[in-house]
Amino acid sequence: MSSVPVEMKDGAVSSSKWLDAHYDPVANLYTFSSCVTLADLHGDGENKLVVGDLGTGAGNMKLKVYRGTGLLSENTLLDLPTGLVSFLMDQHEPRTPAIAVASGPFIYIYKNLRPYFKFTLPTLEINPLEQDVWNQARGDMIDPMTLKEMLEGIRDKADIPLSVRTLRFLMLEPQEMESYVNLHKEQPIRRQTVITCIATLKKNMADDDAVSCLVIGTESQDVYILDPEAFTILSKMSLPSVPTLMDVTGQFDIEFRIIVACRNGNIYILRRDSQKPKYCIELSSHPVGLVRMGKNVVVGCAQETMQSFTQKGKKLWTTYLPAPVTTMALLDLPTRGFQAVLVALANCEVHVYRDKNLVSTIKTQDVVTSICFGRYGREDGTLIMTTKGGGLIVKILKRTAVFDDRDSISGPPVAQSIRLNVPKKTKLYVDQTMRERENAVAMHRAFQMDLSRLRLAAARAYVKALESSLTPMSASLTEPLKMNAVVQGLGPSFKLTLNIQNTAACRPVMNLAISFLYDENLYSMRTAFFKIPLLVPGLNYPIDTFVECLSDKGISDIIKVFVLKEGKSTPLLTAHINMPVSEGLALN
Amino acid sequence: MGLFDKLAGWLGLKKKEVNVICLGLDNSGKTTIINQLKPSNAQAQDIVPTIGFSIEKFKTSSLSFTVFDMSGQGRYRNLWEHYYKEGQAIIFVIDSSDKLRMVVAKEELDTLLNHPDIKHRRIPILFFANKMDLRDALSSVKVSQLLCLENIKDKPWHICASNAVQGEGLQEGVDWLQDQIRTMRT
Repeated sequence: MSSVPVEMKDGAVSSSKWLDAHYDPVANLYTFSSCVTLADLHGDGENKLVVGDLGTGAGNMKLKVYRGTGLLSENTLLDLPTGLVSFLMDQHEPRTPAIAVASGPFIYIYKNLRPYFKFTLPTLEINPLEQDVWNQARGDMIDPMTLKEMLEGIRDKADIPLSVRTLRFLMLEPQEMESYVNLHKEQPIRRQTVITCIATLKKNMADDDAVSCLVIGTESQDVYILDPEAFTILSKMSLPSVPTLMDVTGQFDIEFRIIVACRNGNIYILRRDSQKPKYCIELSSHPVGLVRMGKNVVVGCAQETMQSFTQKGKKLWTTYLPAPVTTMALLDLPTRGFQAVLVALANCEVHVYRDKNLVSTIKTQDVVTSICFGRYGREDGTLIMTTKGGGLIVKILKRTAVFDDRDSISGPPVAQSIRLNVPKKTKLYVDQTMRERENAVAMHRAFQMDLSRLRLAAARAYVKALESSLTPMSASLTEPLKMNAVVQGLGPSFKLTLNIQNTAACRPVMNLAISFLYDENLYSMRTAFFKIPLLVPGLNYPIDTFVECLSDKGISDIIKVFVLKEGKSTPLLTAHINMPVSEGLALN
Repeated sequence: MGLFDKLAGWLGLKKKEVNVICLGLDNSGKTTIINQLKPSNAQAQDIVPTIGFSIEKFKTSSLSFTVFDMSGQGRYRNLWEHYYKEGQAIIFVIDSSDKLRMVVAKEELDTLLNHPDIKHRRIPILFFANKMDLRDALSSVKVSQLLCLENIKDKPWHICASNAVQGEGLQEGVDWLQDQIRTMRT
C-alpha cells in the first residue's frame, strides 16, 4: 500500500478518474480475460474475484478466489482452464452462483467452491477403417509395424480424422509400439474434442438472478447449449470454423443471439431456430477481442485496429490503435448510464473508448493480459487487471469521474459541425450557372486562347529584356553576373549600395565598369562612373556611392544602373532603382 | 430564548444542542454506532442499510446530540454536502477491515475537507476505525496513515478503534467530541 502515493504521481492524468486500490506485482496470477469473473459466491452481498490461473502452463493450474486484497481459497485444477463463468443453476435458496470451469473436453462445476459435477462433451464419430484396424490388432492378427502402416494409410486419405490414441501411436519409436498396443488395444477408441470458449445464456427470464444455461464452443466447430440442472444438450449449432470468442444475449426459451468470433477471421451471428449462422462478418485480420455494446459489436483486430459492426454485419467505424490489442472488456455502469470498451494494449496502456472516441487512458506497470470490470466487494465500478508478469491491479472508478468525449484527441473538430450561413441562390447566380453549363466548350476555348496569348506576350517581353540586357541577371555565358541594389537614407542624401556577384563556377571576370543614368535636374552623384575590380567567383562585392536629391518638391525618379564591359557597346546587365521620395530638405 | 430556558441553561438543567453529521462508506457501521449511543430502550434490534439519511438523537452528560446519519451508498453520497452547513461536528466511520476501499474512504474524506462549507471552519472530526474485532482489521494507527490524517492541521481530530456491535471504544470517542464542542463554545 505504501506504493500508492508514488503511483499517483506517475499517472497524474489517469489518477483523476481512477483510484489505485491495490497493486500486487507478484500475485502469481497468470490468466486471460476468459478465465476471470466476479461473483457473489457466498450470497453476502460482497462480490469475490474468481480466477482460473493457468500457472506455468504445464502445471500448478488453480482456481483462485480473492476477497478484497487477499486470497480466500485455492482449488487445484487438473488441466489448463480455457474458460470460466459463474451462473445460477437452480432456484434453491440461498441463491449462490456455481462456477463452471472449462478445460479440455470437460466442464467442472463448483458449488460453494467444492467440486459438484463434471460434464463431458459427447464423443465424436470414429473412422470405421481405424476401428477395423484396431479390432484386428486386438485379435493379434497384425503386428505393430503393419498396424502403423495401415493407420498411416488411413490418415492420409480419411474424411474423418483419427483419434488421439492413433495419432500418439504414430508418433512412437518402434521399440515402444508393442507395449503401447498391448496397453490400449482392449479399450474402445474414443475421439473427443475440446472446449475453446464458454459463456452463459439466461434460460427464460431476463432478471439478474435468473437461471442460466451454459453455452460452449468446441474445436469440432460446434456450439452447444446445456441445460443448467440436468446438463443435457438443449441445442447444437454448427459453424464453418473453430470458435474462439463468444458473446451471448437474450433468453434460451424466447430469443437469443450468439456472436462468435472464429479462427478463420470471421464473425458469425447465430440465432434461435437456426442451425447455421444467420449473418457473417468478414474481418481484414484476426479478432483478438470481442465486446458487445448494446446492439453493436466491437472487435479488436490483430492489425492494431478496432472495428464496430451492427448485429446484421454492417460496419459502423474503425479506429486505429497505437499498439497491438492484448485483451478487451466492457465497462458497464448501468447506474450512470455509461458504457465503454476497455482495450488493453501491448504498450502497457489500457484505453477506454466510448464509440470511437478515446475518453481515458490508464498507464499500467506491465502488459495487461486480462481485464474484468464490475462490482467487486461492495464497490460497483471496479477494474481488475492481471499482467503478463503475474501481477494483480485493482482500480476503482471515482464517484465524481466524468468521461467527456472532448477528452479525445482524435475525431473531427467542433467547428466542422457548425453550419455555415450560406446565402440563397439568386436568379443571377442561376442564370450564370445555366450559361456556364451551356457554353462550357466555348468558354474553355476562349480561356485557353487567352492563356496562350498571355504566355506568348510574357515570353516576348522576356526575350526582349534578355536581348537588351535590361535585367539584373546577365545572360551572357562568359560573364555570368548577378546584381542587386539597396537604397539607404531618408534624403536628401542617399547611400546606394550595389551588390555584384560573379556566379560562374571558377572563372573570374575582369574589365568591368559601372555607369548610372539619371535625371540631372533631380539628382546629383559624386561619381557616376567607376571601374570594378576583378570579380572572384562566388564572392559578393558591395559597391557604395552617394546620391544627392536636388529637388524639394517631393518627387522621385528612377536611376538606371548599367554594368559595362570594356569594348562592348551594350551593357551586360541593367538595374532600375526606384528612388524613394526625399523626406529631408537640402541644406544648400 | 425565554427567561425560563436561560435560567434552566444556567442551572445546567437544559442541555445544549449540537448537530453532528455521521459519514462514511456503506457497510462501515454508522447506523450501528449511532444505535449503540442511543439509550438502551430506544435501540433498534435489526440494522438495515440506510436509504437517504435518518435523524437520531441521544444525550451525553452535558450535551444533546442530533445526528444526521447519512447513507454511505455511492448513489447517496452526493447528499452529504447539503448537510455540511448545519453540522457542528463530524463523525467519520471507517471499516478498518476493508483494505481495498480505504482509497475510496480517503477520496471521500478529501472531498469533504475541501468542501467550501467545511474548509475554513474549525470543526471537530471524530474518526471511528470500526470493526476492530475482525481478524484482518487494520490498527487505528495504520488507518490514520492510510487516510493521511496527519495532514489535517486546521481542525481538531481524533481517531479511536471501535467495535460498534459490542459498543467498545464508542464512549471514548464521544467523550472527546463533547470536550471539543464545550471548549469551542466557551
